[in-house]
Amino acid sequence: MSAAEAAASEGVSSDAAPRLNKPKHVQYWKRCLKVYLPDYYTANDSTRMALAFFTVSALDLLGVLDESMKEEERRGYIDWIYNCQHPDGGFKGFPGGSGNQWDPATVPATCFALLSLLVLRDDLTRVKRRECLLWLNRMQRGDGSFGETLSGEGKVEGGYDSRFGYTATCVRWILRGNAEGEVDGVPDVDVDAFVRCVRAAEAYDGGISEAPFHEAHGGFTYCAVSALAFLDRISSLSSIPLTVQWLASRQTLTLTSLDVLSTDGDEATAPAVVSTPPSPSSPGFDVPAELRCSPAGFNGRCNKLADTCYVFWIMGSLCNLSALDVVNVPAAREYLLEQTAHRIGGFGKSPEDPPDLYHSFLGLAALALGGGEVPPFAEVKPLVPAACVSVETCEFLVGLPWRREVGPREPEAIERYLG
Amino acid sequence: MSRKPQNKLTPLSEDPKWEDVIPIPQEEGSAHPLASIAYAENYSEAMDYLRAVMATNEMSERVLELTERVIRMNPAHYTVWLYRARTLFTLNHDLYAEIAWLNPTALRHQKNYQIWHHRQTLINALDSADGEIPFLTQMFEKDSKNYHVWSYRQWLVKRFDLWDAGEIESVEELLKKDVRNNSAWNHRWFVVFGRPDTDAFKDEEIVKREIEFAKSQIRLAPQNQSPWSYLRGIIRQASLPLSSLREFAEEFAVFGKMDQVRSSHALALVADIYAEEPNGTAKATLALDMLAIRYDPIRVNYWEYKKKQLPPSSPVAAGT
Ligand SMILES: [Zn+2]
Repeated sequence: MSAAEAAASEGVSSDAAPRLNKPKHVQYWKRCLKVYLPDYYTANDSTRMALAFFTVSALDLLGVLDESMKEEERRGYIDWIYNCQHPDGGFKGFPGGSGNQWDPATVPATCFALLSLLVLRDDLTRVKRRECLLWLNRMQRGDGSFGETLSGEGKVEGGYDSRFGYTATCVRWILRGNAEGEVDGVPDVDVDAFVRCVRAAEAYDGGISEAPFHEAHGGFTYCAVSALAFLDRISSLSSIPLTVQWLASRQTLTLTSLDVLSTDGDEATAPAVVSTPPSPSSPGFDVPAELRCSPAGFNGRCNKLADTCYVFWIMGSLCNLSALDVVNVPAAREYLLEQTAHRIGGFGKSPEDPPDLYHSFLGLAALALGGGEVPPFAEVKPLVPAACVSVETCEFLVGLPWRREVGPREPEAIERYLG
Repeated sequence: MSRKPQNKLTPLSEDPKWEDVIPIPQEEGSAHPLASIAYAENYSEAMDYLRAVMATNEMSERVLELTERVIRMNPAHYTVWLYRARTLFTLNHDLYAEIAWLNPTALRHQKNYQIWHHRQTLINALDSADGEIPFLTQMFEKDSKNYHVWSYRQWLVKRFDLWDAGEIESVEELLKKDVRNNSAWNHRWFVVFGRPDTDAFKDEEIVKREIEFAKSQIRLAPQNQSPWSYLRGIIRQASLPLSSLREFAEEFAVFGKMDQVRSSHALALVADIYAEEPNGTAKATLALDMLAIRYDPIRVNYWEYKKKQLPPSSPVAAGT
């Protein structure tokens, strides 16, 4: 018997597997769709398009999008998104601004707007595709990185990190597939320069960071790897095995600050991050059988606490690398379903935390990950990891007549999820 | 967090200073908006006035007051920060006064990114890093792993050539407080190996010093992954053989005493070292099995995957 089988045989049987309290999650998301969000979300006022995306995509993953809205409402939501389209291309993060240079399109908002339109089954024919692609090219800097928005003087504003590269390459993929060269007379972005940026941000431990020499981080790693997935350039990573190792190392039993305290006590001898600490009487650290199948979350950086969103960022990255089966997916699902799922629906960041849209969407999206030897979680629709939307929604996109003309071939990391 | 009592603020509509401005209300553009937020009244009003002054591209003292009011309620609004920065520069406003206002704002909103971008713009214009490191130390007292603050610190070191101005020492100070602070480890890597126009990996003395430092920190807490990653990173980038770490790793995990492993990271390292040795597959397999079954069972699948990548035990056996 292999070690894996030995450990698995002591694990939880599939009958005991925890379940999603689906009615509660459906209720949570329907409320987000129909009722004003509490003023706590004022901090997200300039990124409402992201919240809009979480809401419609979550309802799609739960399979209740159609029953959640009347046809008139669906058209109204679509109009709301198009109302955020900038006359010069791209989408703004919120409607009704000042209508001038202080009211610009942003790369993330454009990505979330297009994905939301697809989830709502709009065929994107009202998208100013040519203007959007021209604008996208202007959002790329000389070094290959993408920014967030253009200033009045045409300067690229915002960070240099992979969040913008990810959302930019997603926009490119939606509007022009993986077609290189000109589309509608618009040249492609500089793919090679962008790939150099991603490689330059690889950290010494195999993770990917915000910029060269910054600390490896799960969110930036997901964004970088998914951007490479859209560009069909996964193989450009310096070392896939090292990145896989870093990703696998993010799974942790340290779920709350109390867990840190309980393992920090033995710091001077050997603090355990992932296992029980050794005690002087037993120099090795024996792991009790019950620990082997207990919930295990993911952290975003070395020696940090687990957090719901990193279950998605880490497992999603692994899916893109065709390596989801190196981590313990059942333990991660258990962490989500038993620890961070909230009784009123949705997910919090940590056990006991109230739910918020961001963690609620990413928790659900993490449950929707599967592939390779990992069977999908039956209670949610399967998801395309790079695109963060259901397989069905991606199939709707690639089946659109105009899209078939521009993007005859999908990137491999997308294609393998499509029927 | 943003639910501070703002009720005391005078409505702008009652303030003579704003008499000449016609506020522009939020326009959703559809009977069915998405992600509608129940804004506090003060916030809605401030945003209505903000849209109005932005629309005329007004740059004035009252714009600074208004953007401050909005930022207090929503520090994550990116265009408000850009607009404020432009106004500051247009008015030739005192940038030190701006920093003095920014400090408590940053301390209050630990997770905010825009504040640090704004700070970078100001400090770059001031062309002086005076007072910055002490402020960052204050930030680290609240959260010594704050990603934005570390990113800003890297910018500061590069911009003002602070490579030898006590960075290594402050990293060591932070590691004394928490040897598992991976951000501090990463900053050390940046300060030692990230210096432009130098290749510290080719400097034997530096490489040796860093290897010894990592080893000394591992001995304090063998199950701390940060220094192990640091150590292996150096070995890889300086193109040294992994086997040069064999003796050290075997202090914590050695073949034949698999019941006395003191660090799963040491065991993973010896597995990699054995795997590189001729006929080392059997020993590597045992080490990986011990990781999977006993020392790091949460990663059982990963250790199994590593086993599949080992070279076959012996060429004869593989051929039959
Ligand atoms: Zn999170």
